[in-house]
Amino acid sequence: MTWTRSLHVDPAAAVPLWSQIEDGVRRLVASGTLAGGDSVPSVRDLARDLRVNPATVSKAYQSLTDAGVLEVRRGDGTYVSTRAPSLSRGQRSRALREAALRFASVAATFGVGRDEALDELRAAWGELTRGRKGEPS
Amino acid sequence: MNAGASAVPLACEHLSIRYGRTRVLEDVSFTVPPGCVYALLGRNGAGKSSLVRCLIGQQRAGSGRAVLFGRDAWRDRAALMARVGLVPEEPDAPPELSPSRLLALTGRLYARWDEGATRERLRRFAIPMETPFARLSKGQKGAVQLALALGHAPELLILDDPTLGLDVVARDQVFREVIGELADRGATVLITTHDLAAIEGIADRVGMLRDGRLVLDESLEAVKERYALPLERIFADVTSPSAGGVP
Repeated sequence: MTWTRSLHVDPAAAVPLWSQIEDGVRRLVASGTLAGGDSVPSVRDLARDLRVNPATVSKAYQSLTDAGVLEVRRGDGTYVSTRAPSLSRGQRSRALREAALRFASVAATFGVGRDEALDELRAAWGELTRGRKGEPS
Repeated sequence: MNAGASAVPLACEHLSIRYGRTRVLEDVSFTVPPGCVYALLGRNGAGKSSLVRCLIGQQRAGSGRAVLFGRDAWRDRAALMARVGLVPEEPDAPPELSPSRLLALTGRLYARWDEGATRERLRRFAIPMETPFARLSKGQKGAVQLALALGHAPELLILDDPTLGLDVVARDQVFREVIGELADRGATVLITTHDLAAIEGIADRVGMLRDGRLVLDESLEAVKERYALPLERIFADVTSPSAGGVP
């Protein structure tokens, strides 16, 4: 799998490895690098590629499966979910609010104003959608 | 089920060793739960190798004891051999024997021995099977030792500074193999090392030895969260001889 190379994980970083992997896969899905129905490497293979403990990859996959980003097909492997995430409206808005709060806190503690933060968010959104398959870049 | 299959794979209970007046290990206690990858860190001379010798029954503790799967590592060393795989710090196979011969000899020592898997591993490592051990490169020697240690599918794998003197490629190979073992069998692993970069991705728990004392024993994530410092800094602070303790 070539895209595993774009999953940058840094064992030395303070962010837990499993959450780095989770964020990385999410980003690949959001940008369309990974599309619905694409298979993802087995826990074992990804652990070897990233040189991390299989339990760490397992934890990231579990979290992504719970969130409806990945789906496990019994005896077949793990795939990017083809259906919209099965989160309830309440769960979704809660997760989004938490993520927004994290982003806003980072911006605020850097002394960045609201408008600049919103510009960054728009730019990030643009960057993700530019990479989407089938869309003009 | 094996007797004691559910027992804790590795525990040190107030382990102390002295050589004459020199204190090598002082009241070291820690536990490695099943499926855990425990990294025991320490500078040279911190007591890592003595601890490993106690664990594999090559050395008797002065006081306290090492316990593997609920059994005394010294008293029951012969029985425990079948459940433990060791990759020693210094490759120590008879120099004139080829990997082929070593494979045959080691296989005879164990009731449960997977000849096919071991040959496959050696092939993956691209080991010349008929070259005398002494003429293999450092990386090849390490790979042979690892393949032999894994040949009886040990429940506990002890790697004594496995990357010492290896280049990055060889080091990578060792860890890929260990990760494969973890994924396939859920083995328990103890790695002693001074090379933090190599273990940060795969260790669940870390212990740090300084002057024979265990000055830290925690999950890796908890350590990072608590100190919010790169592990390397924590290591430097905690293990330096003049250190008063953790910041």
